[in-house]
Amino acid sequence: MQQSKIMISQALATLKDNMARTGDPMGFTQPYWTDWAEKTDMPRKGPTILLTARMYQMLPYVIQETSLVETIRPLLPLLSVKAFAKMMAMGNAVAGEAVIKFKARNAQNIRLKGNTALTGILAVLRQTGLDPAYLYENEPYSGVLLYDLGLEKDIAPHVYKVYSHLKDQGVKQVVTVDPHTTYMLRTIYPKYIRNYELRVIHYMEYLFENTKKITRHGSCGLPDDFVLHDSCVMTRSLNIIHEMRRIMNCLDIKFLESENSRQNTGCCGGPVEYAYGNLSKNISQARIHELASISKNIIVACPICMINFSKYEKELGIRIWDMGELLHAAIL
Amino acid sequence: MIPQKTAKTKLLKEITKCRACRFCVDVCPTYQASIGVESMSAFGRLQILKYLLKGRLELDDAMTFCLYTCLQCKRCEIICKSKGQNLEICELIQLGRSLVSPTLVKGGKNAAI
Repeated sequence: MQQSKIMISQALATLKDNMARTGDPMGFTQPYWTDWAEKTDMPRKGPTILLTARMYQMLPYVIQETSLVETIRPLLPLLSVKAFAKMMAMGNAVAGEAVIKFKARNAQNIRLKGNTALTGILAVLRQTGLDPAYLYENEPYSGVLLYDLGLEKDIAPHVYKVYSHLKDQGVKQVVTVDPHTTYMLRTIYPKYIRNYELRVIHYMEYLFENTKKITRHGSCGLPDDFVLHDSCVMTRSLNIIHEMRRIMNCLDIKFLESENSRQNTGCCGGPVEYAYGNLSKNISQARIHELASISKNIIVACPICMINFSKYEKELGIRIWDMGELLHAAIL
Repeated sequence: MIPQKTAKTKLLKEITKCRACRFCVDVCPTYQASIGVESMSAFGRLQILKYLLKGRLELDDAMTFCLYTCLQCKRCEIICKSKGQNLEICELIQLGRSLVSPTLVKGGKNAAI
């Protein structure tokens, strides 16, 4: 709780500056979100696009950002707000990208998970007959963090920018891969844009409508049972609950439910990790212990849940599967 | 984008609809993780916002902590709905943040709503 004003002030200022400078929450100028798509041969233009909004791809860097915050925390009482803000802003603009990218080399596991999940999602979409385009280096970030943290003045121009960019590319339908981007594009964007014309669909909603076309090919190495973790945004904001279960049934994958599931699901603690690591840890521990007591194989369908629970893999001897990874194993 | 004055009025009007049944307190993950500090629950955060708006509280470290630790998970809204009130609590907290964030960004020591 101590120095909270400085922490939040700095987090907001850094985010605002990063977004204004580069349009990316991490403030990176070089595209780090296209690697997974290199061998996919997705077209660059089309009325339907797959929008990752960089969420899975930024995970290795998010780990480094949060660990940097924890390292700096003990210094806070020694610095004035302005001095600290200035130091951080300068450091971030000059060397932040290089340092974080260098340190993120060690996060290979989470990078691999993210890339596998995205490849799996694309594979199953293609199996059902949908071949979406991908905007590669022109793919925008949704701005969800700006919205969540109440940076109202900054979210509006970002929303207009993203929307007009998508319209310029001739996009009519967006297939999203994570609940946060889906919520932003479906619920928040229309509040800022009159006559909003984009159709936004989460990939699980699309698969739900096309379950007859899904066929299981692989699966060697898939465990016998899983436990499901529902994401807060997915269930309570988007009401996507039955879709994941029906897809699992369709792929003949057995799963168990926890006591706190569906609309009563427990949070992973991820949304407060940017500034309050200890609180986030307390929340995620409670949830992961509940899930791990049911099965050692936990399925999530949100990059933030995935990154927050993956920290416990070694400690508890569990395996966190993103839904996309599971689809990758079952389809490819 | 809602103008600040309208946002304040809307926020106060919505908060007064809360019947203080406190069913949202126990289900909040941050309340559970904070060993029973009511300020760390949905109800607590709405009260903090109310008194910040009325000028009876100052935005200090503790208030900032309570406001910015809301996970926006909407668990409180499910229980609020089931008790017949149906307040969009997370949206109200987000609206409260949108009043505070512009001043916090500037890094001023006495940032207030």
